[in-house]
Amino acid sequence: MTAEAAAPIMSITKGSDSSTLDVSVGPQHPGSGHCRILMRVDGDRIVSVDPDIGYVHRGCEKIAENRNYVSNIPHLERPNIADAIHLNWGYTLAVEELQGVVVPPRGRYIATIAAEMNRIASHLYGLAIMQGVFVGHTTVFMWAFGDRDLFLELAEMLTGARMTYSFLPPGGPRRDLPFGFVERLTKLVDYLERRLPEYERIYFRNPLMVSRCKGVGVLKREDAMRLGVAGPVLRASGVKYDVRKAEPYGAYDELDFEIPTFEEGDSYSRILMKLEEMKQSIRIIRQALEKMPKGPIARKAPLVAPEGEATGRVESSRGEIAYLVMGDNSDKPYRVKIMNGSFRNLIALPYLVRDVHVADLPVIYGSLDYWPVEADR
Amino acid sequence: MSQASLSREQGLIDRLKSRFPEAIKDAKIDRARRVTVHFEKDHLQEIAIFMRDELGIDHVKGVAGVDFPTHKKIDVLYFAASYSKPEIHDIIVILMAELPRDNPTIATSVTIWPSAHFHERETFEMFGVRFEGHPDLRKLLTLDNWEGPPPMLKDIKFPEMGQR
Repeated sequence: MTAEAAAPIMSITKGSDSSTLDVSVGPQHPGSGHCRILMRVDGDRIVSVDPDIGYVHRGCEKIAENRNYVSNIPHLERPNIADAIHLNWGYTLAVEELQGVVVPPRGRYIATIAAEMNRIASHLYGLAIMQGVFVGHTTVFMWAFGDRDLFLELAEMLTGARMTYSFLPPGGPRRDLPFGFVERLTKLVDYLERRLPEYERIYFRNPLMVSRCKGVGVLKREDAMRLGVAGPVLRASGVKYDVRKAEPYGAYDELDFEIPTFEEGDSYSRILMKLEEMKQSIRIIRQALEKMPKGPIARKAPLVAPEGEATGRVESSRGEIAYLVMGDNSDKPYRVKIMNGSFRNLIALPYLVRDVHVADLPVIYGSLDYWPVEADR
Repeated sequence: MSQASLSREQGLIDRLKSRFPEAIKDAKIDRARRVTVHFEKDHLQEIAIFMRDELGIDHVKGVAGVDFPTHKKIDVLYFAASYSKPEIHDIIVILMAELPRDNPTIATSVTIWPSAHFHERETFEMFGVRFEGHPDLRKLLTLDNWEGPPPMLKDIKFPEMGQR
């Protein structure tokens, strides 16, 4: 990387001059979430931004070293409550790898269904807040939040909780599918499938939304790979990469689905990615319900893990989540390292918000679907 | 897992070992899709350039520090992988260097892998590892008024977290 390429992510506190003005966006949530964006503006143009994160840092990795393997699950999924199951599952995969535990097929299918329900709920959340409100479209905010709640209700039926499920301890899911669940979920995905074209009409083809998002914040394919961004941000720039295909976990290798990609890499395609991924999630849920094997859902897993290290990873709705878990023959991990999509996508912000209008900041920031708590851990 | 299915992992190890017979102390396949490479810390940049340009390993998923007070060392782990080469999409190469605990210093990888920018800042803050040549090595996550030692070191205890 050349010096010029490194420059946009250097501290903007250096080298200011009288023609520019430094503005602090956040951290009290006027469109930045719980992170502060230091912005240097020249009139209405943003010269550079410096993301100042850490306002919701909780020391999750440090806490994890002092809790045993199972009690780590509820607090490790707290960083992203909208997508809790993936934060849980990545950790569980690493611990299972360390302990040599294999989850029975039915358990893997139930986990896959729960994960895809959570992905839809999380995408609807992102569509509502990050992309709806930030772009100035309040209808999609109400719609998406209303539809998301139906998925939370079913999640509660399955796991007992609306958002933070702690559903997948090592060994397999905590519960089998409850009575009447399959019928309700089938009806719900049918409903969502009918609903998505309405979203397209009112939001994705809305001239206001299109003109604010098309061609704004273009992340080129080479830059996306070089900067190591993850998840929908990466795929919207034309890189066909999804952990569910690259390194299948759960039941994904037995199910048929596509990885949607776009070539443009702009804010519009990053937002449209949500719609396409929800369509694929519907496909996955239907197949998983149809192919659901019989048998036990979970095996007993030991409470201790042997010495060694394992890396487990899943594709969450905000990109790849990987956990490094190091065991030391005790009931507590020696080290847990969380690598998640939000933290990796953060680097795209200073690259994209360069020489754009101030009004484009919320659009670009919203299209990255950045979740501050997940990044801060 | 049969031997034949690990040929891609072994291929990466062979190429790295034959190019850097001195700098790479040990390289092994942990399991399918995971390769751990222990290297001499002074050779990070040349290994990274070779991996990026010759092997197509173009980004870093994370940089982790691990503190071992009894061995008086801090391990730094780079989780590197490829987006540009679909045939090794699924492999994570874990580059691992041992740093002395009293002076943990290593060259930056940001000049080769810009994706390591925030990860190195985090490891600097949490473990005190200085990445020499990093363009902007500042604190990232802790509060502005935090003046204690790097908080992720094992001898730093937080009683409010239940540590004694």
